[in-house]
Amino acid sequence: MTSAIQELKDSLHPKLRAVLEKRGFDEFSEIQMRAVPKLISGINAILIAPTGTGKTESALLPVFHHMLTDPLPDGFSALYITPLRSLNRDMMNRLEWWGAELGLKISVRHGDTTQNDRRKQATHPPDLLITTPESLQAMMMGKVLRKHLAAVRYVIVDEIHELADGKRGAQLSVALERVAELAGEFQRIGISATVGNPEVVGRFLCGKRPCTIVQVPVAKTLDLSVKFAGESFGDQTKLIEKCIDAHTSTLVFTNTRSVAEAIGHALLPRGDTDVHHGSLSREVRIDAEDKFRAGMTRGMICTSSMELGIDIGQIDHVIQFNSPREVARLMQRTGRAGHQIHATSNGMILATGFDDILESMVIVNKAMSNQPENIRPHINAADVIANQIAALAVERGEIAIEKIEQIFSRSFCFENAGPLIREVIAGMEKHYLIRTENGMVITKSRARKYLSLNLSMIADEKKSMIFDVVSRKPVGTLDESFVISWISSGAVFIARGRIWRVLDIDEDKIMVEPAKNAKGELPSWEGEQIPVPFTVAMEVGRLRRLQNFADYRADERSVRFAEKVLSEMKKNRSITSTDKLIVLEDSDEGVVVNLCGGHKVNETIGRVLSILLSARYGTSVGIETNAYRILLRLPKFLRAPDVEEVLLSLEPEHLEAILILALKKTALYKWKLVQIAKKFGAIDADADYEKISMNRLLDLFDGTVIEKEAFRELFFSSMDVESAKTVVAMLKNHGMETKTSRLSIIGAEGLFTGRDVVVPPGEDQAIIESVKHRIDEQDVILACMHCRKWKSKTKVARVPDQPVCPVCGARLIAALKPYEEPAFAALKKKTLSTEEREAETRMMRNANMVLSSGKKAVVALAGRGVGPEAAARILNTFATGDNFYREILKAERKFVQTHRYWG
Amino acid sequence: MQPEFYAEGPAVLIERQERSLIIADPHFGVEADLHRHGLHFQSGTDSRLARLLAVIEQADPDYLIVLGDLKHMIPYVTYQERTEMPEVLRRIRRETQFRLAPGNHDTGLEQYLEKGELLPMNGALIDGTGYFHGHTIPDPSLLGHLILCGHHHPVVNIYDAVGCALRGTPGYLLAEIDPSVWGPVPADPTRVLLVPAFYELAGGMDIRLIPGNKISPIAKAILTETGEVFLKDGTYVAPFTELRPDPLGEV
Repeated sequence: MTSAIQELKDSLHPKLRAVLEKRGFDEFSEIQMRAVPKLISGINAILIAPTGTGKTESALLPVFHHMLTDPLPDGFSALYITPLRSLNRDMMNRLEWWGAELGLKISVRHGDTTQNDRRKQATHPPDLLITTPESLQAMMMGKVLRKHLAAVRYVIVDEIHELADGKRGAQLSVALERVAELAGEFQRIGISATVGNPEVVGRFLCGKRPCTIVQVPVAKTLDLSVKFAGESFGDQTKLIEKCIDAHTSTLVFTNTRSVAEAIGHALLPRGDTDVHHGSLSREVRIDAEDKFRAGMTRGMICTSSMELGIDIGQIDHVIQFNSPREVARLMQRTGRAGHQIHATSNGMILATGFDDILESMVIVNKAMSNQPENIRPHINAADVIANQIAALAVERGEIAIEKIEQIFSRSFCFENAGPLIREVIAGMEKHYLIRTENGMVITKSRARKYLSLNLSMIADEKKSMIFDVVSRKPVGTLDESFVISWISSGAVFIARGRIWRVLDIDEDKIMVEPAKNAKGELPSWEGEQIPVPFTVAMEVGRLRRLQNFADYRADERSVRFAEKVLSEMKKNRSITSTDKLIVLEDSDEGVVVNLCGGHKVNETIGRVLSILLSARYGTSVGIETNAYRILLRLPKFLRAPDVEEVLLSLEPEHLEAILILALKKTALYKWKLVQIAKKFGAIDADADYEKISMNRLLDLFDGTVIEKEAFRELFFSSMDVESAKTVVAMLKNHGMETKTSRLSIIGAEGLFTGRDVVVPPGEDQAIIESVKHRIDEQDVILACMHCRKWKSKTKVARVPDQPVCPVCGARLIAALKPYEEPAFAALKKKTLSTEEREAETRMMRNANMVLSSGKKAVVALAGRGVGPEAAARILNTFATGDNFYREILKAERKFVQTHRYWG
Repeated sequence: MQPEFYAEGPAVLIERQERSLIIADPHFGVEADLHRHGLHFQSGTDSRLARLLAVIEQADPDYLIVLGDLKHMIPYVTYQERTEMPEVLRRIRRETQFRLAPGNHDTGLEQYLEKGELLPMNGALIDGTGYFHGHTIPDPSLLGHLILCGHHHPVVNIYDAVGCALRGTPGYLLAEIDPSVWGPVPADPTRVLLVPAFYELAGGMDIRLIPGNKISPIAKAILTETGEVFLKDGTYVAPFTELRPDPLGEV
């Protein structure tokens, strides 16, 4: 035993030393050696190290040491917070032994905890409580538990990267400050996976307090490669089986639950594999974990549910099926293999297509060179502010606004919230959640109910199942806020890359049938979609350009497949888009913009293009995006060069303003707005939307802090405005070029999963469009006023530009309404009555107009109640295009307001 | 007779001997009900009333005729309505004379009305035009005239080549009805003009779905071949029978 280890042991409380002895703990991992002494000194810290190297112990040994050394207060001395209940349970199993040996009470509390256990925790508080952020919120609502929380001296946040990245984290950061209000300052310890910016995670945990980073890099223990898994599902599963056979225990990660299910189903006959994902019941999952741990199964097919550190024993190989999309995700997933000190983690990506192979190669290289993505905490999320103000108001009955500001200012996520807090308070007051009086926020009766329904910032929404009545099969699920703001009988949306029409809406089921016409207008929200970051997509573009496959860690078959696709492109005279080239391609569906920008950048640019095209050409534009292409569904007359022109006209500094316009009418924005309004307490989680126009109700949020937050979140989470600006700037300074072409095999690759339709601005366009249609379909009698022998009934659309009489060859043709036909016939009489003479004069005027203005006169004369006088006025304006129709509308409106019309 | 359309209402002015401004279904006080259904918003009465007063000022009518559902809650009067209704009425009366063709939501409103303001349940003929809410069978005296009614909250959907381009915008439906099921039919045809709701949060009913609908006797009596559709500013959209169908309805 080296002296360093002995020294470390000696620094611990004798009881703890004895227990270590008993457990046979005679070696410490690098992270333990480095972290324990620092933490014993009481500092705040973030611990980063590969999974399975004893991170938990490195955080807990110092805490146990202090709990044994210092007198124990009455209440919870330590909180251990994890993002998941399953992690809580796992942690409880691991700590039970320690608790018993050390004589410390340890207990777990989360959503699944029984009433009985909760009561026990209230009457006999444990010394260490394992819990989730949401249960912590719930605990602070209770008087007794608040008293126990006042004893807190140590808080450990496990898998903190998972929390710091979302609104849950923003909420937790305030919760910690609220605990500090009760308990005073305490030691803060975060345990994190490898991230690009650990210092931000540190500030997230500690705010402005000092915080130390103790890091052991994961990358040096990784051994990763890419393998082509074949194009058929059969080949792919065969390869997975081969890998499982070659190792004792293998984890197979997939990106979606449905793929996990599909593979699990294919491997079922083997009998030694299990499936593990979030949609499965807790029992099924625990059973799968137990069987794997006990060695009864050797393969586990799983999703991100297995990403976090649930202990399932020895794993010696990790397979990632399809590109993991993100570098950090791959590092986290493969880091699960080789759960032993000093062991390397073996991982392999099984890639299945062109995009997939290249993306996997890029991600593997980035992982091996330790370049995970940055964590991006939500800064100034207004709905979190509202939620925590309500919590404070309920907790205290009333609280000074200044005190609220002071609490928020200590959290990293809100340290610069400034006037936003008062803005939120004013908003909450409008929705009757709180009231204010003399600089105090006072709770209202609704607040407690609101809070108990909104303990979590996770938008855990009711999901409605989409059910295809034709195939009698479920298609997928839609979020409730999406359903209420968009789905009605007859509505159309895209899910799973197909267009569906809603037949009926049940309690929680949406009955649909496939719709044939490519006229989708709605997005489905794919909750499981993991976006490919800009940096990864751009490097894929670079790889397409340089084709330096040898520099990447892929097998020969992968490279051959990629090269085959690229040479096929060459053979077809297609142009491959790269990191320096955007290729716009004409397809039957519309225009495909090939841009290696990643999901969020493509989403951003796609939306900007669609609103501009929609405004310029007055048509709806459907958009669908993935990491490498944007499909704009356009009318036939719009082609790639039109889109290119708009793309090249973009200015980086205009993007944000255009987006606000672009998003306002979209399903995506409305979906987000409903979600935030709920978190804000303006709309109850179980609100009844019947008989109300949700769209108009949402207009009430115009200019409010709720609207502001919806945009903030969209720009921050669903889009990548900053990187999109980079792309546009590159187009300006020729760092990137554009080309147009026919649809290529790369452009056509990948299933498009539907998104949104952008509606032209203003109602005007749609109305004109509909008037054009109406007039085109209208019957018109063409009658020759020269020979007066010929007349013909047709539709306005079919009238030639300059009608000619087939009998006498004259161009003096009157365009009459069907009801004028008898009057024309009457002209054949020798003597005409005064009325008939008047009619004749009118018809001559009519025909003269057609003679001089051609079809345009025919169109004008077809307007409702538009006679020769009104038509002359319309033609005299010389308006063309839409403005011409606008003039017709004006004349029609006038007619409707005449006495003649109403009688 | 000459109508004028006020899109910002929506409202319509009918002028014969006198100028009558018509709105339908303002549903003042709806927020209390929204509140009960989990939607927590401040009272919209002020902005709704301001919108109404602006239209009145612009139209300068002799009468304001409300085609029912002036208030919202059934079957009682809420606190919000109790406190707001008198003021709403006072402000209207200050500008013009006021008539209410009572709707199914107007229970308990009589106490706030002055003599002569409340029209009969089955409507009344004023200055040659019939006015009634639309949830009952119209009075025989209205037949053979143009009848304006509320209750239906008509909206128009307009589709373009890619999908739906204009969703749920308030609109008017003008059509003849066949009143023969109700009794003797007068010589002149009876026409109805369904007026869109003034209440801006109304979900609305697609005009294409109104004729034949169970919602009212009027809806059942509509002769669709005579129907014509207008937007709230009087823009003529199309004959009812030629309303462009939902493009995906043809699947």
